[in-house]
Amino acid sequence: MKEIITQLIKDKFAKIALILLGLMYLALFFADFLAPYTKDFSDRTMAYVPPSKIFTIDENGQLSKPYTYNYTREFNQDTLEMDYKLNRSKKYYLKFFSSGQPYKFLGLIPMKRHFVTVEPDGRLFLLGTDINGRDVFSRLLFGGRISMTIGFLALFVLFPIGLLYGGISGYLGGKVDNIMMRFAEAVMSIPSFYLLIILASILPSGMTSIQRFILIVVILALIGWASFARVVRGMVLSIKNQEFVQAAKSIGQSKLGIIVRHILPQTTSFVIVAMTLSVPSYILSESGLSFLGLGIQQPDASWGNMLKEAQEFTNIIYRPWLLTPGFLIFVAVLAFNLIGDTIRDVLDPKSRVR
Amino acid sequence: MKRVIYAILIFVLIFGFIKACIRRDTADADLAKSTNTKSNELIFPQDQKTVTIEGIDYLQSQAPIGNFGGTFTASTIGEGPKTFNPFNTKDNISSILSEIMYDGLLTTHPVTGQPIPKLAKSFSISDDGKSYNVKLRHGIKWSDGKPITADDVVFTWREIILAGLGNTSIRDSIIIDGELPTVEKIDDYTVKFTTPKPFAPFVRMLSTPIAPKHIFESAAKKGSQYFDTFLSTNTKPEDFVTSGAFKLKEYIPAQRVVYERNPDYYIINKNGEKLPYLDRLVYLIVGDLNNEVLKFEAKELDTINLQGAKVARYKAMEPHSDFTIYNLGPNTGTLYLAMNLNNRKNDKGKFYVSPEKQIWFNDVNFRKAIDYAIDRKNMVLNIANGIGEPLFTAESLNSIFLNKDLQPYDKDLNKSRELLEKSGFYWDKKGRLFDRFKNRVEFDMLTNAGNTEREAIGVMIKQDLEDLGMKVNFKPIEFNSLVNKLVNTLDWDMIIMGFTGSPLEPNGGKNVMMSDGTLHVYNMRTEKDKNSPRYDFEKKIDELFVKGALATKFEERKKYYDEYQKIIYEEKPFIYIYSPTIIVAVRNKFKNIFPTSLGGVMHNIEEIYTEE
Amino acid sequence: MEILKYIFKRILQTIPLLIIVSLISFFIIRLSPVDPLAELRLNPSVSKETLEKESHRLGLDKPIIVQYGKWAKSFIKGDLGITSNGEKVSVKLKERIPNTLLLTVVVIFLTWVVGIPLGILAALEWKTYFDRLLTVLTSIGMAIPSFFFAVLLLIFAVKTGWFPVGGLTSANFTDMGLWAQIKDIVHHLFLPVIVLFTLSLAGLQRQMRANMLDVLDSDYIRFARAKGLSEFKVIYKHALRNAVNPLITLLGFEFAGLLSGAALTEYVFQYPGLGRLILEAVLKSDINLVMASLMMGAIMLIVGNLIADILLIITDPRIRVKS
Repeated sequence: MKEIITQLIKDKFAKIALILLGLMYLALFFADFLAPYTKDFSDRTMAYVPPSKIFTIDENGQLSKPYTYNYTREFNQDTLEMDYKLNRSKKYYLKFFSSGQPYKFLGLIPMKRHFVTVEPDGRLFLLGTDINGRDVFSRLLFGGRISMTIGFLALFVLFPIGLLYGGISGYLGGKVDNIMMRFAEAVMSIPSFYLLIILASILPSGMTSIQRFILIVVILALIGWASFARVVRGMVLSIKNQEFVQAAKSIGQSKLGIIVRHILPQTTSFVIVAMTLSVPSYILSESGLSFLGLGIQQPDASWGNMLKEAQEFTNIIYRPWLLTPGFLIFVAVLAFNLIGDTIRDVLDPKSRVR
Repeated sequence: MKRVIYAILIFVLIFGFIKACIRRDTADADLAKSTNTKSNELIFPQDQKTVTIEGIDYLQSQAPIGNFGGTFTASTIGEGPKTFNPFNTKDNISSILSEIMYDGLLTTHPVTGQPIPKLAKSFSISDDGKSYNVKLRHGIKWSDGKPITADDVVFTWREIILAGLGNTSIRDSIIIDGELPTVEKIDDYTVKFTTPKPFAPFVRMLSTPIAPKHIFESAAKKGSQYFDTFLSTNTKPEDFVTSGAFKLKEYIPAQRVVYERNPDYYIINKNGEKLPYLDRLVYLIVGDLNNEVLKFEAKELDTINLQGAKVARYKAMEPHSDFTIYNLGPNTGTLYLAMNLNNRKNDKGKFYVSPEKQIWFNDVNFRKAIDYAIDRKNMVLNIANGIGEPLFTAESLNSIFLNKDLQPYDKDLNKSRELLEKSGFYWDKKGRLFDRFKNRVEFDMLTNAGNTEREAIGVMIKQDLEDLGMKVNFKPIEFNSLVNKLVNTLDWDMIIMGFTGSPLEPNGGKNVMMSDGTLHVYNMRTEKDKNSPRYDFEKKIDELFVKGALATKFEERKKYYDEYQKIIYEEKPFIYIYSPTIIVAVRNKFKNIFPTSLGGVMHNIEEIYTEE
Repeated sequence: MEILKYIFKRILQTIPLLIIVSLISFFIIRLSPVDPLAELRLNPSVSKETLEKESHRLGLDKPIIVQYGKWAKSFIKGDLGITSNGEKVSVKLKERIPNTLLLTVVVIFLTWVVGIPLGILAALEWKTYFDRLLTVLTSIGMAIPSFFFAVLLLIFAVKTGWFPVGGLTSANFTDMGLWAQIKDIVHHLFLPVIVLFTLSLAGLQRQMRANMLDVLDSDYIRFARAKGLSEFKVIYKHALRNAVNPLITLLGFEFAGLLSGAALTEYVFQYPGLGRLILEAVLKSDINLVMASLMMGAIMLIVGNLIADILLIITDPRIRVKS
């Protein structure tokens, strides 16, 4: 373990990736505090407003406390266009660490403080707003909580299943092994993306957002366990004849006990490598599902469903701030991949895990 | 060395950060946008009229004379055609693409919406409104050279439509008191249709394509199973015998449908030359709106329908681009919110809608309160980018039957509160709404997932209703599951959906409006509940639809349909939201472009020509 | 003879596999609340009678197990049934298979041509700056959501006008000469190939790198080096051959993987391939079409693996001993 960390820090790319991911998760943890608004806050007179402009030098050229103006929106009958203009009649000063919209920190502790807010009636949209006039910056933070945890959660469902399944199959061998492996192969033979969307499309409607989130995690796990179990089985096959296993057997430990206590721990390095390398693929899967409208649903936010809105042609050209979730997905996935690559090189350079 | 690099890096970072923090507040240069909007006043040519030259009854275009040749490329969204047999089509795209090849006896006037002759030379309706005399053109031919005669018309109606081959929807819609209309041949060029009772919507059915008897007859004889596969998308283009301006040249699945000009078409220009001008008509099959725009921008398409923010983009590009934008007014779709007024039980003896919710939804004050809480104005501004109009009527805004007396109004929360109080609802200290039996007002609101527009509407309505203290669980669900709920399981509270309506014939909406209709969304009746009691307003609407169909004069019919719109407007079983405006762009190189709200761009495809 | 027996055994083994696959898929699809007739039902002008006729035609009015039996029976006979639109599934698949095959083969070819040399280079330069850079560069391709990358490329195509916007052929394709036709197809293929290529490059490159490291570390390479063979000869004559062997196994997977991985890309590029067809069918729960495609995917994977295994037996003497 220590070696992994020293290697990660030694490698420049991995170090940067680690710092980036650390910052991201930190920001997501404190999302309620960092976000100027709550997830569902919307100002419908402010749809598709560009990012707020923050001024530190006022119109007279004097240094000033940072302030911003609100945008006003008007429909121009001639150009059939929405015109957004700064309403310079009133300045709204930024306030740090002051109270704003109430929220529950981590869903538990009621709080009001936000890192940055703006004076009453002012609107601070650091990354503009979406179609419903919701603050993109705040939603990025809340959406990130979903997107960045969905992969990990899926792994926590998938790995025990895969480990146990592969372990049992490999250890017992014979007919059991044969049947178990045929079944796993059958699951693997169904093209995974289609299996994913078929499963996602049978999710019963009328679920709460938490139920939906959990079920999507389960579905993602259902897709991945089989190939993982197969590799574990292969490793178990080679481990089970080693001396310490024979020794455990001879002192009369139960089969399950041997598998869990003696054989599976030997696969740790493989598991770690496989884990870090598969988190990004789940982040991408979630965005793919959301692209098809089968992932996390409105009004909840996830990077995937935010990106879906952004990918419309006019949005890409005129509202680039909507593309930020795509950028964050990119950074997160890249960072995970770099870390995964480094860990693999340390633990198991010949590993075929992709 | 390394340290220097780090130092520089850190310096740059800090400098960048400071730079980002300091922004000087200087007034924007007022970007005076050049508002040189072209005036797109269209001067429509006179109506086409019949001229007889050497015994052939041509239809003569009155539009300016153009050049021959060229290709016009349009698009369809979705998976492309499923059949080219116009009698088998079950979806809009297949209908459009197959009807290009087969003309009907009549067509719709693109401006007035009245039925006018097309393949027919003329038609007349008897005074009792029961019989329709249709005279055919002399000397016009199918694409294989055989003449088009009364036999083809009689065959099409008797052996295909009335016999129930293919899609039976037309047949089912003209069963009047269990009886079907009849067709008879008077002479080779005259056909008489008789309906058992006066039935005004029938005249619209005469726009149905006519099939060549000598091609379709053998297929029709082999029965309905064979007919379902007849002239499918796999049929060779040579095997089509057609009457339309264009004929299939090739169909490449998931990519495009290419038509070529019918050299022997019966419409001529003022010089007596046979139309159409264009050599080719291409429909690209595009998967979604996004792809369509990209194709138009890449000049792969010659025309496009525009929505929302795209309109602004194209409007700005128009002055220095090679296309013109036409505003065709509101579209035929209706977007609505509906509550489940079902008060019956399912097979298992359970209520479809829980009893306390039934009381709310069946309370007209409750429905009206919701209606007044909806912020249509901002929905149009935000979601349709200003390109639309609030909607309050069951008929779409471009319908010729629209009741113009029904006034629009704005969001009015006070009025909503008043209405709720009248029905005994009250608020607690936290502003939460309860009914008079102390139940918290909470329900689900569904729409189909993946539709950005409807999801955004849902988010806004949820907020609007929460302003009234209601608790709304907004859930976009998969389209198919939603439909299953609407027509089978019936276990829903509130939905946001849309219908495409007919601007010409309110009777087309009878499946939605009449209480036994297959799409009577707000109060669906399953087979066993067929005779369950109706609400008073449902009865009235049923009655008006029957009367409206039997009346023959437009004015009289309008009276009935006005009345039904008024009832919906007052009772609010459907709460209409807004209608997007149809905006189309067409490349300037094409002339004789006279788009209308009813006919779109392509209604006079034979007259369109290109200057290149 | 040994090989024939082996093949026969393997084919026998696939039969239960296919039965399990079909059962799993069929029941999952059928359990879904998705109604294949939803679109029809929501069309005000479609009558009740038409709907009943359709539902009967598709067998929706019977219990699931009967439906499965009906499907399995006709599948064995080679009849894939009809889609919910009444078109023959076999015809629909036939229209799309060549297009997908074309795309897949081009992508696999390109990835191999680029990925294998990059993998070797990375292995030879193991733990150097160059190796890291390669890994980072190939990772970038993997990190963009494919649909989003595709959308961005499409906009690039529009803005520059260098590439057509989706599809496979131009509108006047049939009027072109052979050369122009080939050029047209290449022109259309360019962008989707780029997306899929960047997507799968990283995987292959890492795989090759791992194989190469494995081989370079083996006894006989050490022996060859000890014998004083030139480094060039050691690498290209001995190491390379052995390192590529395991990749053959990969081919089977890659083939089936692209079938599923290309769906979103095909969808965005409006490419007339299988992926888009299946995607649309799954979303509509068009059971015959989905089943046929899933079975085809499974068979492709199994056959791919089988061929790979046989190739391995032929090329690698060590395995023959084991089997």
